[in-house]
Amino acid sequence: MSEPATNRELLVFEAARRVHDGECVIVGTGLPLLAALVAQRTHAPRVQLIIESGVVFPTVLPTPMSVVDPRLMHAPSRLGSLLEVLGGFVQRGLVDVGFLGGAQVDERANINSTWVEGDDGKRRRLPGSGGANDIASSCRRLVVLMSHERRRFPARCDFVTSPGFLSGPGARRAAGLPPMSVTVLTDLCVLEGDDDEGRLRLAALMPGVSVDDVLDRMQFVPVVPEDVAVVSQPPASQLDLLREVLDPDRRYFPEAAGMTEKA
Amino acid sequence: MRDVLDGTTRLDGTARLDGTRGAGGTAASFAAAAAAAAASAASSGADEKCGSASNDDKVMSAAEAVRRFVLPGSIVGMGGQNINRCPMALVHEIVRQGVGGLVLMGCNLSLPADMLVAAGLVVRTEQGSGNLERYGTLFAWRRAVERGEIVVEDHSHLTMVTRFLAGSLGLPFIPTLSLLGSDMAPPADGTPRGSMAAAVDPWAGQPVVLLRKARPDVSLLHVHAADARGNVIIEGVTSHEIEMAKASAVTIVTCEELVEDHEVSRRPEQVSLPSAYVGAVVVQPFGAFPTSVYRRYDFSEDDIVEYQSVARAGDADVRRWLDEHVRAVADFDGFLARRDPAGTVRAELVSTMETITMETITMETML
Repeated sequence: MSEPATNRELLVFEAARRVHDGECVIVGTGLPLLAALVAQRTHAPRVQLIIESGVVFPTVLPTPMSVVDPRLMHAPSRLGSLLEVLGGFVQRGLVDVGFLGGAQVDERANINSTWVEGDDGKRRRLPGSGGANDIASSCRRLVVLMSHERRRFPARCDFVTSPGFLSGPGARRAAGLPPMSVTVLTDLCVLEGDDDEGRLRLAALMPGVSVDDVLDRMQFVPVVPEDVAVVSQPPASQLDLLREVLDPDRRYFPEAAGMTEKA
Repeated sequence: MRDVLDGTTRLDGTARLDGTRGAGGTAASFAAAAAAAAASAASSGADEKCGSASNDDKVMSAAEAVRRFVLPGSIVGMGGQNINRCPMALVHEIVRQGVGGLVLMGCNLSLPADMLVAAGLVVRTEQGSGNLERYGTLFAWRRAVERGEIVVEDHSHLTMVTRFLAGSLGLPFIPTLSLLGSDMAPPADGTPRGSMAAAVDPWAGQPVVLLRKARPDVSLLHVHAADARGNVIIEGVTSHEIEMAKASAVTIVTCEELVEDHEVSRRPEQVSLPSAYVGAVVVQPFGAFPTSVYRRYDFSEDDIVEYQSVARAGDADVRRWLDEHVRAVADFDGFLARRDPAGTVRAELVSTMETITMETITMETML
């Protein structure tokens, strides 16, 4: 019998549940890619993946470390360009779900990956948007994967790289952006929201995590309903899929393999 | 000509050989690049175009290509993305020649950009991202930005490639639906900020962002194959490279393989970039090492991790690394020989790539 899923593994399965059969999904590498692959090999066999570097509808081999890793380019429909994917698919409106990460997510689901202010008041430079702004500007559903740390959940991002609900209900429309729903998945909980709400609400907790555990690690208070669901364990077959097929060397779960993450 | 400007170029990158080149590039920059080529080309013909040596034979060494086309203060378009097909051989040569005051443009700036920054050759970057994904950020770039030594204009990947698209089409600007509402967006009153300005779609009445064209003075690409005329064949994804090269005054390519003209003529639809945009062809097998070339060789994780650990340690460390591995050798073959004396690393990377690009492979057979 397999060990039950850790909360970081559960995050992958919970992300996979956000992908429906036949949808077009844009993913980078890491946990979002694993989530899309879990979906593809379980409940959503006809999910179509696209990768910003130009890879259209590939079969993925274990275990890509980059959006240009050749392991991500197996048997695709096309190997094209960044313009084709971020322009011809994402901005064109052909993508259903976008997966992102970020350094900060705020109360209104805005995402920062450009710079943060350090404890010394100095700006700490981060990589920047990449395709994230494009994805958050044009996709109708966004799934954001985050490590749940207090510094990563400020009331307001130091810099809005990728638009969530901006200043609140109606703000996306006023800015010229289409409506969007957002799911933020962390190792502690699931947060959700859409344009009409204009802010995030606590939708579910990871097993063994309390509402207070979540709130203690955030600088804002999300909407908290009376009853909050608990994320369920995946079937053992799906755990085996993740651990033995999709990421056999545990590249994305170094804690499970007793490794330390490189670089 | 190369001594006209040195590393003291103005931070906005506008001080140039012809004094007029802004971030958008001009016909004058095109002429300057061509003139520079003509000045140093021993065999320059009267019919020179696109800064080429000769339209029939643009093959030259990396040292010569960099001497001709990468001038102090040049706006340099950076090919490659993350761990794939980065123009490492050309960037090593720029480090050896110490060409400074550079403005780097690209979508994802990666390993080669970090080396140019670490060598103190960069004054400004315009990019969608600066990182190596799972292998970490660009440590030298990050430190230089945080110290205020490099001016940065932030874009998304799509807006950078859209700017190159405008440049490639000869358009002054082009709209995008990205950036709207974010902190990268320009002022709502339409005042331009950097290469962006807010506007309204005249038909739909909806907000858009206008992007100024981007026109690098010289772009650097590493490709699979080229013929002597400069017709380029790239296999696999091209990221932003084709739009960027077509927007540039001139492009230098290093290639894994030089092919006969007639091989290209037989399958012209497979040409990724026609010769009109290419000024120099440098034959350099493993010219992207330690990054990958699709169907040729995988990336060298050990070498990338080593560079990242050196770069993370500090500027003195990475300068020492550049001294030992780049400046101490004559050319990129010298670097490869130093890194991998017996060729075993390269053989392994070729073998790995063969395995993962086999058509019959499945995820299960990888196990």
